[in-house]
Amino acid sequence: MNDTVKPVLAVRDLSVARGDHTELDKLSFSLNGGETLLLLGDDRSGADALLRVLGGFTRRGDDVSGTIRAGTGDEMPAARRTNLGIRAVYLPGPAAAPLNPHASVLSQLERVVARRHGSPRASAREELRIALERLPGAPSLEALGQKPGALDAIALTWALLAAALAQAPELLIADHAFAGLSPTTIKAVVAALTAEQARSGFALLYSARGLQTAANIRGRVIVLRHGRVIEEGDFDKLARGQAHAYTRTLFKALPRPGDALPARSMRGEPLLQVHGLDARAPGGKAMRQRDRLSFELRRGASLALIGEEGSGRRTLVRALIGLERFTEGRVVLDQVDMSILSAAMTARLRRRIAFVTGQDDALDPRMTLWDTVDEPLRAHLGLSRELVSGHRETALKRVGLASHNGKTPVALLSPFDKRRLQVARAIVSAPFLAVIDEPLRGLDAFSQSIMKELLDDLRKQEGPAFLIVTADVGVAQALAEDAFFFKAGKVVERGPLREILKNPKDEETRRLIEAALGETLL
Amino acid sequence: MTMTATAPRPAASLETVLRTAGWVGLGLIAVAVSLSDFLTSVPADATNIGPLLAAPSESFRFGTDVLGRDMLSETLHGLGVTVRAALPATLIALATGALAGFVAARLPRPLALALRGIIGILSAVPALLLAILIIGLTSRGWASIAAGLAAAPFAFVRAFEQAETQERARHSEYARAAGISAMTLLRRDLVYEFTDTVLSSAARALAAVTIILSTVSFLGFAAEPPHRDLGLMIAASKGAFLQAWWTAAFPAVALMLLILFARLAAGLNEGERA
Amino acid sequence: MFRFVLREAGRLALGLLGALLMAAAMGALAAPHAGTSITAFLAAWGEAVVGFVRLDFGHSAISGASVPAELGAHLPLTMGLVAEGLVVALLVGVPVGFLLGAGPARRAASPFVQLVSAAPTFVAALALAYAAFRGLGWAVPVGAGVKSGLVLWPHNRTEIQAALLPVLTVGLAGAGAAQLALRRVASQTAREPWRVELRRMGLTALDVERAYVIPAVLAGLLACLGEVVLALLSAAAVTEWVFNYAGAADLFVKSVALRDWSIAAAILFVFAGLTMTAHFVGVSIARAVADPGTRP
Repeated sequence: MNDTVKPVLAVRDLSVARGDHTELDKLSFSLNGGETLLLLGDDRSGADALLRVLGGFTRRGDDVSGTIRAGTGDEMPAARRTNLGIRAVYLPGPAAAPLNPHASVLSQLERVVARRHGSPRASAREELRIALERLPGAPSLEALGQKPGALDAIALTWALLAAALAQAPELLIADHAFAGLSPTTIKAVVAALTAEQARSGFALLYSARGLQTAANIRGRVIVLRHGRVIEEGDFDKLARGQAHAYTRTLFKALPRPGDALPARSMRGEPLLQVHGLDARAPGGKAMRQRDRLSFELRRGASLALIGEEGSGRRTLVRALIGLERFTEGRVVLDQVDMSILSAAMTARLRRRIAFVTGQDDALDPRMTLWDTVDEPLRAHLGLSRELVSGHRETALKRVGLASHNGKTPVALLSPFDKRRLQVARAIVSAPFLAVIDEPLRGLDAFSQSIMKELLDDLRKQEGPAFLIVTADVGVAQALAEDAFFFKAGKVVERGPLREILKNPKDEETRRLIEAALGETLL
Repeated sequence: MTMTATAPRPAASLETVLRTAGWVGLGLIAVAVSLSDFLTSVPADATNIGPLLAAPSESFRFGTDVLGRDMLSETLHGLGVTVRAALPATLIALATGALAGFVAARLPRPLALALRGIIGILSAVPALLLAILIIGLTSRGWASIAAGLAAAPFAFVRAFEQAETQERARHSEYARAAGISAMTLLRRDLVYEFTDTVLSSAARALAAVTIILSTVSFLGFAAEPPHRDLGLMIAASKGAFLQAWWTAAFPAVALMLLILFARLAAGLNEGERA
Repeated sequence: MFRFVLREAGRLALGLLGALLMAAAMGALAAPHAGTSITAFLAAWGEAVVGFVRLDFGHSAISGASVPAELGAHLPLTMGLVAEGLVVALLVGVPVGFLLGAGPARRAASPFVQLVSAAPTFVAALALAYAAFRGLGWAVPVGAGVKSGLVLWPHNRTEIQAALLPVLTVGLAGAGAAQLALRRVASQTAREPWRVELRRMGLTALDVERAYVIPAVLAGLLACLGEVVLALLSAAAVTEWVFNYAGAADLFVKSVALRDWSIAAAILFVFAGLTMTAHFVGVSIARAVADPGTRP
C-alpha cells in the first residue's frame, strides 16, 4: 500500500441539467492516485454528463453547477472549468468508431499523443511504441499502420489503450472502453491496465454499462440511475448482498458458476443431422478425418458454439443453414439433404430460421416497427393485414414493445429496442431453428437480464431449436444445454454444458470458462 | 452513450418552412395558370394590342414587345404552356428515372449491371443535348417527352446507387439469410425510398425538366406560336431586350420562379445541373 | 489504390466503348436506306463500326468535309471555353461551397443560393449581357453576327470584352455544380462520429479540420469533377448560341436541326468521353487524397 496517497480528483455536488431535465444530481466523490472508480448504470444514468464535465467537452445548453478540485489545487466551480490542473486523458472504445476510417490508426494516434505532449510526431511515435511494448498481447507498432477498418476490435482496443497510456495520464477517463469485447479479451486488457495503473499510479474512472468489465476491474462502484446515486460501495460486497432493488437487478446479469442451467425441455425428432462435415474457412486446408464434425440437433434443443472471434463458429453456422457450400460431409436439415437443394430452394427452407444477433444493423433501418414484425408473415405466407395484426400484437406484448409507436422507423430505436424487435420478429415467424449470435453485446446489465428472459421465453413457447454463437460462456450457461468449444476452426471439447463446466478438459475451454465466470467449478 | 445521431436537427424547421414555401408557390402558379383565361385581357399571341415596345405603364403593366403584344398576358399564357408541357415530362422522368432505377437494381446482377452501364453512358451526355437529339430524331411535338427522357438517366443512376447501397448493407445479408426474396427487398425499396420521397422526387424532376424544356425552346426546338412558351418568348426578345428590358425580364422571372419553387419543394440540399 | 485505379480505368474503357457503339448507331442513320428496315439499320451500324475501326469517321452531310476536319475546326473553341470556365468554376464555387458548407452561414444563405441557381443558363447569359451593356457600356454583346474565333487569351480590351461574358456564364454554371458537390460532402462529414471523438481524445478543432476534414471535402469535390464538367458542357452549348460563337456545341445544335447525324454523333461522343474521363481522373485523385493509406 502506498504511503503517499496523492489526491487526484475531488468532486462536490456536481449537477448537470439541460433545460428542465436534470442529467446529474449532486454527485460527490473523491479519487486518489492509483484508485479506481466504476460508474454503473444504463444509458440515461448521468455518467455521460459527468464524463463530459471532467473531459472538458460540455455541450451548449449544459447547465453545470458544483465544484471540482483537481490534484492539490483549489476548488474551482465546475462550470467555468477550462483547464484541469491534472492531466486527464479520455479513452473511448472501438464501438464508438472514434477514428477516421480513411487515415491509418498509427498516424491518428501519433497525432493525439503529439498534441498532448506538444512534441513532434516522431517522438510521439516512440512513446507509442514503448507503451505498446509494455502491454502484453498488444499488436506491434507497424501493425497499426492500417486503416481502422482493417483492424479488428481487439487490436483497436489495445491501440487506443496504448495511446492513452502514452500520454502519461494522472486521471484516465474510460468511456465504455471495453464494451462489446469477448470475456477473454476483457480479462487480458483489464489485467494489463491494472498492471500499468499499479506502475504509474494514475486514477481510473470507468463508465460501464455491462458487468463483464466491472467484474474484472473490481474496485469502488457508484451505481447511478437517472442522475442520482443509488448505491456506493466495493464491487465484491455489492455482488454478494446488495441493498437497493435496482442494484440487485443489475447484478443479476453477472453470470455465476453455480447458476442453474436451463431445464431440459421436451425434445423431439432430429432437426439437424450432420455427418463428417468439413466446414473449413474459404481457402483453409482440409480437415483431418477425426476433426470432421458429426452431431445431431433435435427440435427444441439448444446448442452453444463457444469460441473466440475467428475460431470457426460462424463458418459452421453458415454451412449448416446453406449459405455456404461445404466440401465434405452431409447436412440434413428438416429431413432434407442440403446438398441436393438449389440456392433458391435453400432460401425457401431458410424462411423457418430466425436470427437474433447483437449486430445493431441487422434490421433494415428504413422499415417501421410494425412492418419489421409483420414482414415474415406477409412476405412468406401472404397473409392480409388484419390477420397479421393479431400475431403482431401478441409478439410485441411479449417483448415489451407494445406501447411503442408502431410507425417509428427502426433507425430511431435504441439498441435494446432493436434487439427486442428481433425477438418479436422471431416469435412471429414460428421458426424451427433460431440462430442466436452474441445477443447481449453492447447492452447494459439491466437490459441483459431482460434479454435472457425473452430468449428463454421464446424457446419455451415457440420451441425452436437454439443455435447459440457466443464467446461468453455466461450467455451459453443461461441458454444452452449442450456446447461445442471451438479453437482455430476445430471443436476441442463437446458435450452437455453442465458436465463441461464441472470438469473442463481442454485448455481453451478452461480459459473461456474462467474469463466469463470468474473461476471454474473445480 | 456517446453518439446520438437520432435527435431531430434544429435546422429541420427551416427546411420545413422552405419546403412549404415551395409547395405554396407551386400551388399559386397552378392557380394562376388555370385562371389565365380570366386574368389575361387578350388571347395568346394577339399582336398589335398596344404601341410597339412600350415600357411598363398603367395600361400595360409589363409593357409590350416588338410586335405590340401585351407582355403580361403573354407571360401568363407562356407560363401556362410551359407548365402544361412540363407535367407529362415530369411523369416520364419519374417513371423512367427514379422508379426504373430502383427496379433495375434488384434485377439479376448481369442485367442490372448492363442497364446501369448503358444508362450511365447516357448520363455522361448533357441532358440538354440529349433532349435536342431526341427531338431531332422524332419531331418538335415530342419536346415534352424528350425533356422527360433526357432528365431520366441522372435520376436513374442515383436511384440505382441508392438501392445498391441498401443491397450491400448488413440488413440485406440477414434478410437473405432468413429467406427474404429479391421481390420483397424491391418492395421495401419502393415503399420506403420511393413513396417516401416521391413528392420531392417529382418536384426535383419538375425543376430539371423545366430547365431543359425552356432551354430547348429557347434554342428553337420546341413549341411554335401561338403556343409560345417562356423559352421561345425570351428567344424572340433576344434582338430587342438590350433596349427594352421588359421584353425578356418578365418571362425570365416567371420561369425562374417556377424553377425556384420546384427546387424548394424538393428540399433544401438540391440543385440540378442546368 | 492501384487496384482501384485499374478498376475505374476498366469502367472508363467500357464506357468509351459503349459510347462509340452508340455514336456508330447514330452515324448509321446518316447512311442511305438505313431507316427502311431493322436489318438495313443493323447493316449500316455494322458498317459504321467497321469504319471507325479503320479510322474513317464519315463525312458531314452538309458541308461534305470529313468529320475530324469539322471537329478540328470547332472543337478547340469549346474546349477552351470549358477549360477557362472550369477555372472560374473552381475559383468561385470552392470558396462559396466552403463558406456555405456548414454552420449557420449555410442555413442563412441557402435560399439565396437556390434563387441564383434557379436561373437557367440562357437567362443568366442574357442577364450578364444586359449588365455589361447597361452597366459597363460595352458594345452589344449578343446577336451581332457569327464570330469565328473566341480569343481565349485576350490581349486587348475588345478581346477581353468578347471573351469575358461567355467564360463567365459557363464558369458560373460550373460554380453552381461545384458548390453543390462541396456542400453535399461537407454535410456528410459533419455527421461522422470521429469528428467528436478525436476532439475528445485531445486534438484541437484545427487539427481535425486540417488533417482530416479538408482532405475529405476536397476529395469529395474531386469525385464530382465529372458532374462539374457536365454542367460546363451544357452551359457551353447555350453560351455559344447566345453569344454567337461557332464552337462544337453550337455545331451540334445546328447539325441536329439539319439532320447531319455523323457530326452530331461525333460531337456527342467527344462530350461523353470528356465527361467520363474527367470523372475517372477526379475519382482517382480523390482516392489518393482521401485514402492516403499509411501516409499520415
